[in-house]
Amino acid sequence: MNEQQLHDKLRATGLGGIGELESSARDPFVVVEASVLLEVMAFLRDDSETAMEMLHNVTAVQRETGFDVVYHLCSYSRHHSLTLKVIVAQPEGEAGDWEPAVPSVASVYPSANWHEREQWDLLGVRFNDHPDFRRIILPEEWIGHPLRKDYVYPSTFGEIPLELDAIPLYERDENDPPKPSEPRPAGTPLTQPPSEYSTRPDAGGRAPAPEKKGES
Amino acid sequence: MEALEMYTVDDRSDVYTEELKLNLGPQHPSTHGVLRVELSMDGEIITASRCDIGYLHRCAEKIGENVTYLQYTPYTDRMDYLASMNNNLAWSLTVEKLLGVEAPERAQWLRMICAELNRIASHLIAFGTYGIDIGANTPFFYAFRERESIMALLERPSGARMLYNYIQPGGLRRDVDENWVTDVLAFCDDFEKRWAEYNTLLSNNRIFIGRTANIGVIPQDVVYACGATGPVMRGSGIKWDLRRDVPYLKPYEEVDFDVPVGEGTHGTLGDCWDRYWVRMREMMESIRIIRQGCAALPGGEVMEKVMKKMYKTPLTPEAGEAYMRCENPRGELGFYVVAEGGTSPIRCRARAPSFCNLSLLDSLLPGTMIADAVAIIGSLDIVLGEVDR
Amino acid sequence: METLIDFFTGTLGLGPTLALSLAYATAIGSLLGFITVYAMFAIWMERKVAAHIQQRFGPMEVGGWHGWAQSPADALKLMFKEDIIPSGANKVLFWIAPAIVFCGVLAGFIAIPFAAGVQIVDIDLGVFFIIAIASIEVIGVIMAGWSSNSKYSLFGAVREAAQVVSYELPSATALLAPILVVGSFKLGDFNTYQAEHGWIIFSNPFMWIALLVYFIASLAGCKRAPFDLPEAESELVSGFHTEYSGMRFSFFGLEEFVSMLLVSAITCTLFLGGYTLPFNFLDVANLAAPFHLLGVAVLIVKIFAVIFVQMWLRWTLPRMRVDQVMTMGYKYLLPWALFAVAGTAVWHVWMEG
Repeated sequence: MNEQQLHDKLRATGLGGIGELESSARDPFVVVEASVLLEVMAFLRDDSETAMEMLHNVTAVQRETGFDVVYHLCSYSRHHSLTLKVIVAQPEGEAGDWEPAVPSVASVYPSANWHEREQWDLLGVRFNDHPDFRRIILPEEWIGHPLRKDYVYPSTFGEIPLELDAIPLYERDENDPPKPSEPRPAGTPLTQPPSEYSTRPDAGGRAPAPEKKGES
Repeated sequence: MEALEMYTVDDRSDVYTEELKLNLGPQHPSTHGVLRVELSMDGEIITASRCDIGYLHRCAEKIGENVTYLQYTPYTDRMDYLASMNNNLAWSLTVEKLLGVEAPERAQWLRMICAELNRIASHLIAFGTYGIDIGANTPFFYAFRERESIMALLERPSGARMLYNYIQPGGLRRDVDENWVTDVLAFCDDFEKRWAEYNTLLSNNRIFIGRTANIGVIPQDVVYACGATGPVMRGSGIKWDLRRDVPYLKPYEEVDFDVPVGEGTHGTLGDCWDRYWVRMREMMESIRIIRQGCAALPGGEVMEKVMKKMYKTPLTPEAGEAYMRCENPRGELGFYVVAEGGTSPIRCRARAPSFCNLSLLDSLLPGTMIADAVAIIGSLDIVLGEVDR
Repeated sequence: METLIDFFTGTLGLGPTLALSLAYATAIGSLLGFITVYAMFAIWMERKVAAHIQQRFGPMEVGGWHGWAQSPADALKLMFKEDIIPSGANKVLFWIAPAIVFCGVLAGFIAIPFAAGVQIVDIDLGVFFIIAIASIEVIGVIMAGWSSNSKYSLFGAVREAAQVVSYELPSATALLAPILVVGSFKLGDFNTYQAEHGWIIFSNPFMWIALLVYFIASLAGCKRAPFDLPEAESELVSGFHTEYSGMRFSFFGLEEFVSMLLVSAITCTLFLGGYTLPFNFLDVANLAAPFHLLGVAVLIVKIFAVIFVQMWLRWTLPRMRVDQVMTMGYKYLLPWALFAVAGTAVWHVWMEG
């Protein structure tokens, strides 16, 4: 089955919240409401015609208006694949460390377990009802999510200075390590966007994020 | 008083025992890099395990958002550093899909030959290090002897021995020299004889079979559920190979090759020996592909003229997104790239096969012995550069 | 020994107590010297054998000819290396463990006859003595593993204890077969018997089984592959000597090679004719005074042939698992050893009676 047939099949289930098949991008995708995500996944896995045995990949993408969570599903017996997308718009007035939340699909596809942990770790997307919701790559005590667009590389990790180059070797005093940064007052954003980010020469051509579709 | 209580934990035995926590890694000879596994041990038997990864994390995905599409090719080398060609290929195909261009025919055939050569080199490492994991040191040196020839072959067009950066979006960096194809064919003839030696030395050894058969059995439903791909999937008897089923390069449709799958020769289907044996047979299939590729290699350019022009300025694909899956030696590598019209993507996600294969480990280890744990980690054939990226 | 005592009392005119002490000191000193030189050569040989099996050259630079000086250079380096003791270690046990391991093996050489008259003491229960004293090594290894305060070391020590104690059974049982043939525990008697009747290995077909069982069990006793579980480097990093460094570490390495020498010497003495030549075509034992030392050369050649096989196996075979090692020891080797002993007994009663 191609994507169009798969999409028709999904629509025929009568589940609400399934958007149009978006084929303007290179790879077509279907936008799904977070509320029906688990049902859609379970249907795609269990139906004998769709037979999506494997959740190949889970990705979160930060856009200017919010987050996309992208699921790539593959069928090994039927040789087809489908991309599902959950769009979480950033509410008005939320700070930079806002954490979007979507339901975890690890109960349907156990392979999502590690992928979702990685997306939480690097992008700060919460997956509700995840069986083992911890950071996977960075240390448990790490502050912030490095793949966020506004992330600033910290100068210290606890007591450990990270940017060693900032202090020349001959000036380093072993008995007086650099102080950890001041605790963040409540309510302030985690990090300030670096000024050079917006003025970077090759960032100028970036098109605005496409209109959110299929959220009806 | 505390001591007295301690001894009354288990009334049935007069010996007080407790679980031993063993830290396997991050510096350990057989975790293939910097993997750390926390094991709870009951004597030699593992009762629980917990994987800890991230020691080699370089945030390659963040780097991808800050460099141009062409500049990112060398970074893909460093993910699965044992199969750089295949990583380059996957990245190039993703960018090509995003741009809507295709490499010239000669470049496609050469890509296939190089990728298969690198697959053999990568499986040779898997074979050699697996021997060391099981305790036989000699296969490693045998494997490295042949890997050396492959690296010498790949060095000639690319100039590098390990991190090639040879396959680029739009084609290849440069053409191969005129004797290259002859030398590749000579290597193929040589390799077939060597391959038989490996089997005498290790594959059919009674102790080796005793150590690997019936160990770390992965049932087919677990393979699907945990997203394991590549030899791990085929070792469990699932006949699936992207090269055959979803050919991502045109030559793969034209060449004739088998997809070896595990058969449970010495024990249960999907055990360590089956995965090992799938890798061994895949090397011979790669030799078949290379032979046919060398025979059918067409002439012409290796870089699309359009791309040559495009290289004068950084590539700027239109807004869109592409997901490309490629059959790497370790499984299916997927690149998911989201472009918004700039010179660099806004998201560049690598779906690493080792990462998904490793997620099986925690469910495989309990109930096995510490020596089996080493055999199981080895049979998954992970590269930590790819797991952590 | 008697020659030495005579030399000290007769030629130098010393008192009997002093002469006895001096004689033993000389004998043990020369034994130590021999073992040191042997260990260096064996390490060099191991590296060369391994290298050639693995299509390499091995050491080629130090000393010129095929890197012959590599081992002395390494020994020198190890002597100057810092002796690190982990902070959590039990210092006393950590210090004396390598010495106990080494002494246990070294003491076994007291009873080995290298040639006619070249033997420190010909103990009546020589075979029994060697088996007993070589087991002291296990205590040293357990001390090393326990005192290192490392879990890997502890695993290695426990594995060593289980393995060596288990394999004492088949190896000691297998040695009963030649003892039955000769009718003595005295190692000197084995040489005189074999000079008269030919090598014990040819005395009856069951002896081949006994030799094979003893050889395999002795591999396990020396912790050689495929039984190198106590120091399995891919599982336990380095086993019981993970935390050792410098000279103390080298004692464990030395011990391995010395125990290889000991078990090979027993194999040669009990099965392969000792210092006698095949078919005794030249009666080495009864040659004129300085020439009977030729027996040493004969024995050493045989010993190195056995050691070569041990090395060959090590660099070819993978390692077994703990349960497989135990299964092999108790379910296969021990019954076969008993079968060989019983077979030998029946054979000799039948042939002679």
